[in-house]
Amino acid sequence: MRRREIYDDRRAARAVAVTTARRAGPQGALWGYVFGATIAATAWSYSSSFPTAESRARLADSVEGNAGFAALFGPIRAIDTIAGYTAYKTMFFLVILGAIWGLLAATRLLRGEEDAGRWGLFLSGRTTRGGAAAQAAIGLATALVPLWVLTAVLTAAVGATSKVQIGVGASLCLATSVGAAVAMLMAVGMLVGQLAATRHDANLIGAGVLTGSYLVRMAADSDPSLDWLRWASPLGWIEELRPLTGSHPLAFVPIVVLIAVLTIVAVRVASRRDLGASAFASRDRRAPRTLLLGGQAGLTVRLTRPAFVAWVAALAATGLVFGLVAQAAGAALRGSPGLEQAIARLGGSSAGAVAYLGFVFVFAAGLVAIAVAGQVAAIRNEEAAGLLDNLLVRPVARWRWLAVRLAVGSGLVVVASTLVGLAAWAGAASQHTGVAVGDLFVAGLNVAPPALFVLGIGALVFGFWPRVAIGVTYGLVVWSFFVETIAAVFDSSHWLRDTSPLLHITPAPAADPNWTSAAWLVGLGILAALVGVAAFCRRDLQGA
Amino acid sequence: MGRPTAIRTQALSKSFGDTRALVSLSLDVAEGEVIGYLGPNGAGKTTTIRLLLGLIRATSGRAEIFGVDCQAHPVEAHRRVAYVPGEVNLWPSLTGTEALHLLGRIHGYVDVAYRDLLIERFELDPSKKVRAYSKGNRQKLILIAGLMTRADLLLLDEPTSGLDPLKERAFRECVAEAREHGQTVFLSSHILSEVEALCDRIAILRAGRLVEVGTLAEMRHLSALHVEAQMDGSVPPLSGLPGVSAVEVDGSRVSCRVTGSVEPLLAALAGAGVRHLVSREPSLEELFLAHYGSGQAASDAA
Ligand SMILES: Nc1ncnc2c1ncn2[C@@H]1O[C@H](COP(=O)(O)OP(=O)(O)OP(=O)(O)O)[C@@H](O)[C@H]1O
Ligand SMILES: [Mg+2]
Repeated sequence: MRRREIYDDRRAARAVAVTTARRAGPQGALWGYVFGATIAATAWSYSSSFPTAESRARLADSVEGNAGFAALFGPIRAIDTIAGYTAYKTMFFLVILGAIWGLLAATRLLRGEEDAGRWGLFLSGRTTRGGAAAQAAIGLATALVPLWVLTAVLTAAVGATSKVQIGVGASLCLATSVGAAVAMLMAVGMLVGQLAATRHDANLIGAGVLTGSYLVRMAADSDPSLDWLRWASPLGWIEELRPLTGSHPLAFVPIVVLIAVLTIVAVRVASRRDLGASAFASRDRRAPRTLLLGGQAGLTVRLTRPAFVAWVAALAATGLVFGLVAQAAGAALRGSPGLEQAIARLGGSSAGAVAYLGFVFVFAAGLVAIAVAGQVAAIRNEEAAGLLDNLLVRPVARWRWLAVRLAVGSGLVVVASTLVGLAAWAGAASQHTGVAVGDLFVAGLNVAPPALFVLGIGALVFGFWPRVAIGVTYGLVVWSFFVETIAAVFDSSHWLRDTSPLLHITPAPAADPNWTSAAWLVGLGILAALVGVAAFCRRDLQGA
Repeated sequence: MGRPTAIRTQALSKSFGDTRALVSLSLDVAEGEVIGYLGPNGAGKTTTIRLLLGLIRATSGRAEIFGVDCQAHPVEAHRRVAYVPGEVNLWPSLTGTEALHLLGRIHGYVDVAYRDLLIERFELDPSKKVRAYSKGNRQKLILIAGLMTRADLLLLDEPTSGLDPLKERAFRECVAEAREHGQTVFLSSHILSEVEALCDRIAILRAGRLVEVGTLAEMRHLSALHVEAQMDGSVPPLSGLPGVSAVEVDGSRVSCRVTGSVEPLLAALAGAGVRHLVSREPSLEELFLAHYGSGQAASDAA
């Protein structure tokens, strides 16, 4: 009476690929949607902001050949066409965002799973270490499909309108370029995940690769005599693809080669090294550093410090860039009737550099909101990983733990917001832009309320439904971004606009901050957080 | 009970959706007592301990630690409690020393000399990072973190899972020391020899319900005695005798179990001429198996 279950061999052997694709696929779809919507909204708004040939020519005159812009965001080509403008305005952010996501997804699904001990379960099954890594690569590649399809379809859809007119071929090329950047960084993530000792280290190395690639590209774009240098940087290859502005398929060669080489090497390293070990020697032993380990608050500070410092630095750098280009960007945008309308719609009244800063500060508000959503994720992850148990079985009150966590999150918001403003002022002042430090300081503070609101909502959801807290918080941020990018199509009283916290602040410094709505956002955030804390004190702790 | 109580639960219940993880548990543990808490997988042992710690909320009922309602005032209750889980999750980037420092500071009291003794006794290398520890070493770390506080109540949930036999012996030494110190120990474990050796009283849980609680001697008294006899001639019929069960005959040898008085059995055997007789009390393992192995199913049916 012995009965054995016979599993389909091939199904068992595909388990890693399927699991990886299942986890990365929905995110790929989400990003594809965000990317496609961003491209579509940009193309659409260009045609209304610069309706006449004359206004487009003026724009082209003022930005083309601007070395500062080219160095920061890439070369400017055919900006007097919708396609050229769209490529210029969107490629930089989409490529960087996509690359970061690709890196994080690859390290999470390979190294992160291994660190958590789940990889070992697969390996005890019907696959080898190298085989599992190869399957994970296939899973990641599968997740690229929805990203690519959605980006292409949304671009082609807006391109098909008579107002925009971007061809299907060009849309595919644009989607492919963004997808190629994601794929390259996924391959980088796979390899560094094999080399580093932990996922955290892998992310740091990967971030270093991305930064280096950006800096090389920056040097190449800052001076025409250095054009060749672009071929030394993966991000430079993406630029060389020139989507929408006369494609250049030769640049696909290094991209494909790089992805293939990195993947093969990653699989080989995976098959040779021990599970859980690193190819580099890592220091598992050190003299104790007990600073900040005197209690729960100190521990929280210590645990959140790396993310805190990274975000503050990144946002300060963003603010500095905004300041540096404000003068030139303001000149480029001056006299565009569409822009003036847009500013007026957001409640502002100025033009030029100040108008530009007003626009980009709303974007900065979104970045601060992403940073704080990361804090909500850290709060939930500490509980899900069972680490919080260690504190709460000792004399630590639940409300106090969550309050400290939320205080750190609020601190991040306030510090980052202030620094965005001050760094923008420093950048602007270095270009003699003539913006008052006080105005930009206030404009910086003005980006904090939406993030504090997001933090409060995150705490509320965490208090009641911890397992969905991360998804809801990031979802709220993505939704805010989305509504903001398509806000131009609603009239200013449309209820959908009200659902985005980002649209409840004014575009300071282009307009005076609206302290009433800021106070509402912060007040509602605090209320939500208080209710969340109260709920957390009354519920079961819930593991992953 | 003359001594004050360390743990008192009254009709304590917990349901997870449809799963009734703990059903109306009423249990008192006296101060200074070492109690073993047994039950098959999923019986509700960890649930009980997490309720006592206030990590999960009771569906109904009440739980007190040293008279403090531990669901309503967990912080106050935790000042006198140390908890050792069987599955350890510590911050992977901290070293052993750092983790002990942190957990000690948070608890508020550490017997430093005892901590150093424990580190030596368990042969832990505290300079390594948590992520580099083996499973057993992580368990040792969390065990030391609990024991070093000398807390009045030790809540131990499979504290020796993953420890080698030498370290397990060291653990037994620690529990003996805790007893001498007057500490109360609540020990949930699957290692019956450990429980048999250490515990004054034993509570057995099955499917969320307390099915037995008492000293080992009491439990033995209530349960069957195992009897084996070698007869001179043939074996007399025993099955009908009061209290006798599980009769097995093998030629002139017979074995059976007796509950209650042994007199009828002895009379029957003596009448038939018995050459050799052995009787044995059940081990904890037999008691345990009787409670939740097939034996329980049989007695449920009866
Ligand atoms: N968070 C939870 N959500 C849903 N059900 C749970 C949860 N925690 C425990 N249970 C269920 O409650 C019951 C008791 O679980 P518990 O962990 O207390 O068992 P245990 O006696 O500690 O078992 P083991 O010996 O395996 O550790 C089980 O049926 C389990 O599935
Ligand atoms: Mg358990």
